[in-house]
Amino acid sequence: MRSLIFSNNPASLTSRLGATIDVEQNHVRFLGDLILNLWDCGGQDSFMDSYLSTQRSTIFQHVGVLIYVFEVESRDMSKDLSYYRDCIDSLRKFSPTANVFLLVHKMDLVAGDKGAQLEKKRRELQHESGEVGVTVFGTSIYDESLYKAWSRIVHTIIPNATILSKHLTTFAEACSATEVILFERTTFLVIATSNPVQAESPFPPPRAITSGSSTPTASTALATSNGISSPPSSLSGTVIPGAEGGDAHKLNATRYERTSELVKALKHSCSRVREEFYALEMELPEFTAVLDEMTKNTYVLIIVHDPTIETAALKINIRLARQKFEELQSDSVGS
Amino acid sequence: MASSSNGTKSPPTQVQRTKVLLLGQRRSGKTSIQQVLFNDVPPKQTFYLEPTARIVKHVYDTVIPLEIWDCPGTTTIDTLGAPLAEFSSIIFVIDIQDSYQQPVARMLDFFIAAYQESPDISLEVFVHKAEAFTEDYKLENFRHIQQRVIDELLDISSDYEQMPLNFYLTSVYDHSTHEAFSRVLHKLIDSLPYLEDMLNVFCANSQASKAFLFDVKSRLYVATDASPVDAGTHNLCCDYLKTLNAFGPLYKSSSASPLRLTASSPSSPPKPTFYPSAAVTLAPSTQGTTLTYHLITPQLALLTLMQTAVFEDRRGLLEYNVVFFREGVQEISQVETDARTGTS
Repeated sequence: MRSLIFSNNPASLTSRLGATIDVEQNHVRFLGDLILNLWDCGGQDSFMDSYLSTQRSTIFQHVGVLIYVFEVESRDMSKDLSYYRDCIDSLRKFSPTANVFLLVHKMDLVAGDKGAQLEKKRRELQHESGEVGVTVFGTSIYDESLYKAWSRIVHTIIPNATILSKHLTTFAEACSATEVILFERTTFLVIATSNPVQAESPFPPPRAITSGSSTPTASTALATSNGISSPPSSLSGTVIPGAEGGDAHKLNATRYERTSELVKALKHSCSRVREEFYALEMELPEFTAVLDEMTKNTYVLIIVHDPTIETAALKINIRLARQKFEELQSDSVGS
Repeated sequence: MASSSNGTKSPPTQVQRTKVLLLGQRRSGKTSIQQVLFNDVPPKQTFYLEPTARIVKHVYDTVIPLEIWDCPGTTTIDTLGAPLAEFSSIIFVIDIQDSYQQPVARMLDFFIAAYQESPDISLEVFVHKAEAFTEDYKLENFRHIQQRVIDELLDISSDYEQMPLNFYLTSVYDHSTHEAFSRVLHKLIDSLPYLEDMLNVFCANSQASKAFLFDVKSRLYVATDASPVDAGTHNLCCDYLKTLNAFGPLYKSSSASPLRLTASSPSSPPKPTFYPSAAVTLAPSTQGTTLTYHLITPQLALLTLMQTAVFEDRRGLLEYNVVFFREGVQEISQVETDARTGTS
């Protein structure tokens, strides 16, 4: 699983990985100065016993996040659970503030109703955890579920995610975008997204600005390219009154994880021909989008539904916003 | 071409389809191939496919209308229910792990019968499930099967020395099935030389190093320019198309997306028909390559590789050339459709 997220390996090659011996420590430079210290702990009984006895204080000290992986169709669930209980106890003693994530893994092997199976496991695990708050995800390396879980995990580690979101929202408005998503560069996990535009209309409120002129936004000049100077009259009839908070777009709920998965797959295809993925722009029947480098270690994806917005305008906006986000990121990581 | 002898059993639609026969022993992977190529079934899922019980005719519309007959492993020439001469192409799938004696004998029965009825028919052998073996062993087996087939053919009669057999090593887990089926498809397209000519002209005028005309949904390439096809590039183009296909529905807005194609306020001049396009830049500097995508017809897309510097400096020229290329392809398709529906 680790090799998939952090080393850009495809799922089909995981069978070649060896067993983890003892603790493999990994430093993953995530978001520039934020370095994740990833302890990949081997799961064989003898290792587990030593973690819980002699190595107990070393392993469980200063833990930010505990990720405990269960096999969905485990041969010996009672043993898994007894180890888990011991781990939770140790964690409570040495790092009481740590976040706990439980991944119910190898979901692809479940035959039949996956949702019901996962729900059953979730209740069981929550019961086992006692008063420790845990978040349970069902995952599989063969689909996007793994990215969903890891994005959520990473989100809890990033200190200033809300501020990033706020700026992304401003940026989205300047681009007349429906949504802006910020990804980490190597893992392509979602760091932050713009908040949904409080749009009573499918398009953001139009401004009387012709393309090419610029508005100072968030101390950075962003070129606003907005072709329509007044809303087409035919639109107002089709607008759905903001019943559920103005989410008229009803975008696919799994889009973030699927995007991570798709881009990683494309990156992998590029690397096979010794090329490096750099940027992507699309004008598809459904939307216009640009995926480009934002800062040294992030990528941004802008989704626009307004057909009059050109990809070139979005690219200029990204270029102009770069410095601001670079500053923002060093603030958020430095603190 | 053999397709002209079709008159007895015309399908409900008036279009005359080019027929492809998919044969092989049971569990050799015929349905897997068909499903992965034309139904977007993930390769891993093909494991769970039910055995085919009777002949299933799949229709698929690309540059030419196809009808693919997926046959159960027990089909014989008599139970096929149609003369072999009706088919433009026969694909026989052999499982690389299987014992070869039975499949090869059965294959030659079919091939000899078909060859006698119409010598122009294209006979293709897919040595399938190549993923089961390591690289060296796989090639050794592949050569072994080829040699065996040719030897047995000559044993039957030396008349068959001229029989045009094509062998492909395929697996649904990589791009080899796409590549092999693309090559099968090329032989069925009468207008191929014209498409290739247009791609050559396009490459020369747009400074593109390589251009493919792909069928968008199946990711088979219909035609390419004269420069040799490098497997890596082909695979990348396939994956790129797959990514774009998957991206589309992901950010589809139920309110705003439908307006994109129709929207244009009454006052503005009528917009030209919208054709999706995309570009992926490889390598951050302008030294790198850019892979472009332009939809040509609802089924076909043009993918080109060019230097990023060229793409950025001459984008206008590229798009201008695409417009002419599109007109040409659309004209060819129109002629093809007219001929097949019998309006001319």
